[in-house]
This record gives sequence, C-alpha cells and structure tokens, in this order.
Amino acid sequence: MAHAVISCLHANLAALEAVLADIDQQGIDTITCLGDLVGYGPQPNEVVNLVRERQIPTCQGCWDEDIIEGLNACDCSYPSQLAERRGQLAHQWTADQLSEENRAFLASLPMSLWRDRQLFVHGSPNSQHEYLLPDMDAFAALERVESAGAETLFCGHTHRPYVRELRDGSIRVRVRQTPGEPAGVAEAEDRELRLPLRRIINAGSVGEPRHGNTHATYVIHHEDTNAVEIREVPYDVERTCRAIVDAGLPPIFAWRLRHGFEYAERADDASHVCER
Amino acid sequence: MARWALISGLRGDLEAYEAIQADLRHTRRVDTLFVLGDVIGPERECNALLNRLQQPRRGELEPQCLYGWWEDQLLAERGYRGERRADALRLSQGEAAVDALLQAVDPAHMGWLAALQFGFIELDCALLHGSSAAVDDSLEPASSPLLLLDRLTRMDVNRLFTARSGRQFRLELSGGGIQSQVQDLEGQRHQQQGVPPRQVIGIGAGVHYTIYDPGSDRLDFLAAGSRPQQRARGFA
Amino acid sequence: MSPTLLISGPPGCGKTSWILNRIRNHRGPCGFLRLVGYPDEGLLQARDGGIDLAWLQDQCPGLLDLADPDQALAPRPANLLALIELPQFQPPADSGLAGLDRRAIPQLEALHLSPDEHLHFGRDDLLPRQDTLDFNSLQALERNLAGSVWDPASLSSFWFELVNGAYGDVYRAKALMNLPDGRAFFCNWMVSREGSQFLPLQTTASPDGRPQRLSRLVVQGKDLDPAAIEVTLADCLLSDALLELEQARLRQQEAPSHPSPAA
Repeated sequence: MAHAVISCLHANLAALEAVLADIDQQGIDTITCLGDLVGYGPQPNEVVNLVRERQIPTCQGCWDEDIIEGLNACDCSYPSQLAERRGQLAHQWTADQLSEENRAFLASLPMSLWRDRQLFVHGSPNSQHEYLLPDMDAFAALERVESAGAETLFCGHTHRPYVRELRDGSIRVRVRQTPGEPAGVAEAEDRELRLPLRRIINAGSVGEPRHGNTHATYVIHHEDTNAVEIREVPYDVERTCRAIVDAGLPPIFAWRLRHGFEYAERADDASHVCER
Repeated sequence: MARWALISGLRGDLEAYEAIQADLRHTRRVDTLFVLGDVIGPERECNALLNRLQQPRRGELEPQCLYGWWEDQLLAERGYRGERRADALRLSQGEAAVDALLQAVDPAHMGWLAALQFGFIELDCALLHGSSAAVDDSLEPASSPLLLLDRLTRMDVNRLFTARSGRQFRLELSGGGIQSQVQDLEGQRHQQQGVPPRQVIGIGAGVHYTIYDPGSDRLDFLAAGSRPQQRARGFA
Repeated sequence: MSPTLLISGPPGCGKTSWILNRIRNHRGPCGFLRLVGYPDEGLLQARDGGIDLAWLQDQCPGLLDLADPDQALAPRPANLLALIELPQFQPPADSGLAGLDRRAIPQLEALHLSPDEHLHFGRDDLLPRQDTLDFNSLQALERNLAGSVWDPASLSSFWFELVNGAYGDVYRAKALMNLPDGRAFFCNWMVSREGSQFLPLQTTASPDGRPQRLSRLVVQGKDLDPAAIEVTLADCLLSDALLELEQARLRQQEAPSHPSPAA
C-alpha cells in the first residue's frame, strides 16, 4: 500500500491542487499532512477548506500554531530584520483573512500523529520550530527519532525533501564515579549502546519550495517495500503569483516564489529551539 | 592555568557554603567559583545565603551563579516566566512545598535571581544546571549515551558540567560510530560518523563539590569539611 | 612631468578599479577627479555622489581630491599622477584627445586640469574590455543613505534581491553601506560579472551611534522600481533603538567580562 505525505502548503492553492491531482492519478488514497497550511501565500482559507474537504489527517505546523496563538515565533527564528518584518506582515495578513471556522480547525490540529511506529510531526518531536536538516549530526538526528519511540519519523519544515537512513550505530562510554554513590565503584566501568536502525523522511514543501526550483515536492511511502519516492510536481506558479499581488501581499513574495527562493530564509542556527 | 570550583544544590545551606569556601581557601590555584544553581530550596530560610552570594566576604572567591531548577520554580511562581507557574513543583511535592519555597526567599532577592543566566560557556565547556535541553534535564551515569551525546552536540562543546542529578561522575564517550545515508533530489550521499571524544561531568550537590583543572583536564570530586582526612580522588 | 590621464567608459566597465590599480602602482602622489558625465539619448547618468572618491581615498590615504578648488589653485606636487574619470556611454567619434567630450572642457579648465591622454573603455586596447557593454537605454536610481545602518543579514538579502532582478533589470549597482559594528562596505555588482564584490573600507567608525561618513546606493538598469526598493530599505535599516541594542552588545563583547553567559 502506498501512502502520500505532504507538508508546508503555505496557502498556495495551485500547488496543492497539482499535488493532490498527482496523488489521485496514482490511485493513492492515504494522505497525511505535516502542517503549515497557511503563511505567506495568498489563499489561506481555500487551502484549509480543501484539506478539510479531503479529510486529510494533519498535524499542526509552526505557522498554524502562531496564527491561532498570536505571533509566538521568537525573534531568533528569523535570520534577519527583513525576514522578520516580512514574516510579521504575512502573519498579520493571514490572521485577518482566516475565517473563524478555519482558525478553529487549525487550533484543533494535534502536534503529532502516529501510524504503528511511524511518527508524523511538522518540525521535530521536540518542537514545531526545530529544523531537522539532512546533514545534521547523525547521532542528534537519531536521538530525535529514538527519544520519541518511533521507527520512522516523517517531518517537514525545512522545505527540502529527503530520506535519511541511520544504521549500525553504537556508542561506547566509560563511567567513573565517586565511591559511596548508589551502585558506584571507583573503578572505571565501560558500557556500549547498540543503536537501532531508524529513518527520517522529510516531505519537502508543496507551497514554498526551497530546493532550487519552483516545483512542489512531496513523498510517497510504499509500505510493502518500505521504499520512499520523492515527487516533484510542476504547477501554475504564475497563478499563485497573480493571487499574491491581487491579495495586496508584497510583490516581492511573488518574485521570490517565481524564482524558487523561499519567502524568508530559514534561521542560520537550524538547531535552535525556541524555549518559549 | 587556574582551576575552577563547581558547586550546586546548596538550597539555602549557608554552613555548607562556608565549609566549601573554607576548603577553597586551602586549595591552591582555584580562581573561579561556579555555582550551578539550586542555591534556594523550601527546607530552610535562604536569605542569609542569598545575601552572602551577593556580598562575598573578604578573602572569599566571588561566586559566578546560574539559576537552577528551584530558582526556576520560584521565578515562575512569582510571574517571571510568562504564563508558567511552579507547576512542576506543585505536581511533584504539593502546594505546601510551593508555599514553603515562597516563604524561604525574601521578595527583595527576586531581581538578583531573575538576572541569573541559564548557563556559561567557558573554553570548550558548557556549565549548566540541567542540560542544554532544559534546566530540569537530569543527566546521570546511567542516562542513555545517545541522549548525552545529543546534549553535548546541542551546545557544541567537549565537556558538559551538570548538577541536576546531584551525582559526582565523569562519563567519557570513548568510541563507536554510525552510518548515515541521505537521498534527496540531488542524489544519494553516504557518511560514516564517529563518536567524538566528549564528556559529561556530574559535579555533585551540597557539600559534595568538584575541582576542575582545564589545563590538565584533571577532576577532583570532594566533600567539604572532610578534606584534611580525605585523599582527593582525582581522575586525571 | 607626470601625466594627467582622462579615462571614460560606460557604467560598470571597470574605470574605478583600473584607477585604483594605477594609483597603487604609482610611486608618488596621486589625484582623482570624477566628472559627472552627460546624458545621452535615453541614457541617464547616475549621480555617484562621491562613492568612488570615498572608496579610493579609503584605499589610498593621501589621495588628492582634484575637485577641491583650493587644491586646483595650489601648486601641484612634482610627479603627481592625475586621474580623471568620465562616465560616458557611447565611444567618442575621434581618437585620442580629440575625442574628449567638449562639454567636459570648461570644468577641467576651471580646475586647471589639462589631460595629456584620453582613453575610452571599449576603444583603447590599453584598457580591459570584458565588462564594457553597449547600452541603448538606461535608468538611474540614487539613494542617499547618510547615517543609515544596516542589519547585516538584511543587507545580504536585499543585495541578493537587487542584483537578481527583484526591483527591475539591474545592470550596475554600487554602494557604500554602514554596518552596526562600525565597518563600512563598498558593494559592487555588474551584470557581466559573476557575483558581487563586498569590500570592507579600511576606515572604521566606533560602534557608537550613526557614522557620519558618506553612504549611498547607485543603481542603473531598466524598469527600476524605486518604491519597492524603499519598502525593503525600511525593513532593513536599523532604528535608533535597535542600533543602540546591537552596539551595546558589541561594546560589551569588546570588553569581555568573566564569565560569558550561554544560551
């Protein structure tokens, strides 16, 4: 059985329609969405409506959370003053547009979803704001999956799709502690932890690509073979760009989308987790 | 290179603090005293110790303090942590403990407590009450090595000094590795990563404290007051 | 007797870089003058506003400003190399000095300058020609940024958008920009070149308030959108309060107190 995972729709209706058409064409009827339905893009209500109509199980993204809770992202999650101002502008515009019903829907979304030992989150199991980048420290990546008790972790947030397999891991430690401690001995004690095989699958972004071109991306997990396919779907970018300008959003958003640049760059310190 | 003394978990115990200071007067080459939090607690009135930390006596090492779990609870209950209150304390020890904590600290000290930092970075060491993840993160010799390595990686340091567990220990990551394979739109990459030689050090609590020499990487786990009789247990 | 050299060429052809090179290779005093240039049909000259002179004087302390009337009347030092830059889109009709734009002569005479040689980029092989483009129509946009200080990461984003066409087809962009730490950068981009130059000025200000020196952005291209640039500038430049916050942090770093706070 095949299972499609989509993420980071960012109020881009043309992109979502194209991705859903691509999924339908392959006869896949199990879809999971990893959040960020809104933010920056021009059609927040249309996109949320479509996800609701299709009854796609969805977990909450950082934008979905911020829209219902008030701007919560800490300053440090923006890499520049420019990105922060644009983010705040997009936030305010989206908050003004979103219907009460759709706001309630976003508020009802869970932080994570489980299917057997597959865990679905927006950023990481720790936080919707944490980026799990493909080249992050392999042990730290494994820790995210393992501490959550999952075998496979599906995430988004980075807008760059990837499949990462972590295998044959082990950590040896040497412990010395003072005598008198419970179970303590003055001598050094050696231990080894064997680490299990784990996978992280990033679904990329439907509405705001950050992988070098303008195509929407998502992933298909073939559960019978365990294979993962990263899909790139061309869509009518100009339709969304026109909608950005017509909606009164900054024309620079349209320019950035048209050229495959994300609306606002990701924070420099990708491992940063907001403490708030 | 000068050495550091690391203490924590005094919980208002001025006598223990004075015993440590007395020890340090006889310990050569210690030039910095780090206090990794939990200077307050609900068991006793803490104002005398708080006054002393803010106004050291002549000849005493001036303490460099962090906030710990107990300070965090008090700061939360007194409204210094946004919406959050001392819920962790309330859940684990009940309303009476929250009241006792409020009673133990004169509100005049709140400004000083609120200005305390979460952690210090010194050389390639992180000095924290709990861990890089949170102030209540209790790292112990039996903690998962994967979790310990993650906490070291988050701060990008070679040594993490922690106090939360109250234990005195040195845990070295001594070997191992992992295979990583990434497939993305650019293709497939394979990477073998080794375990970096890093350490987590538990510094103890109360009269149990630690001396660290960054120059030689030597650690001494000590107990204040017992020094003349006790041979220092050094792990070079 | 040292020469007085006049070089001309279209925007971004490398006049200032060539002059900087000549100054560095000259043993003896040098002087510099930038003439404003004259519009050709459909082609607007950008007002440089002193960027080239400020950049050259930063790189070559002691460089004489030949536009200074006091210096024009003072006796010139022996062995002075006088370099005159003239922005000019179209190649001159005649070769050598005969091709010099007549409109420049009164200003040169007023400053007691008489070129011994005139070289034009694209015409004279003594000059490099890789960046010499033909222009048919060109808009110019200038923005005085005196006293402005950039959020560094925002400057990087803005410049990326500017030279990649977010505010119109840019052929040439150059600027002197201030950062909160007191450094300033000469930012330089030309459509024919890969990548931008970001060259730090040698003179720095103390991280204490707004620097007094020249700061300016000059852009040449087509279909430029000054209003959109203004919107982005407003989001990139630091307010008094944020500047002070940032500079207070920098001042504290300069005098490190023990120990250093984490997180």
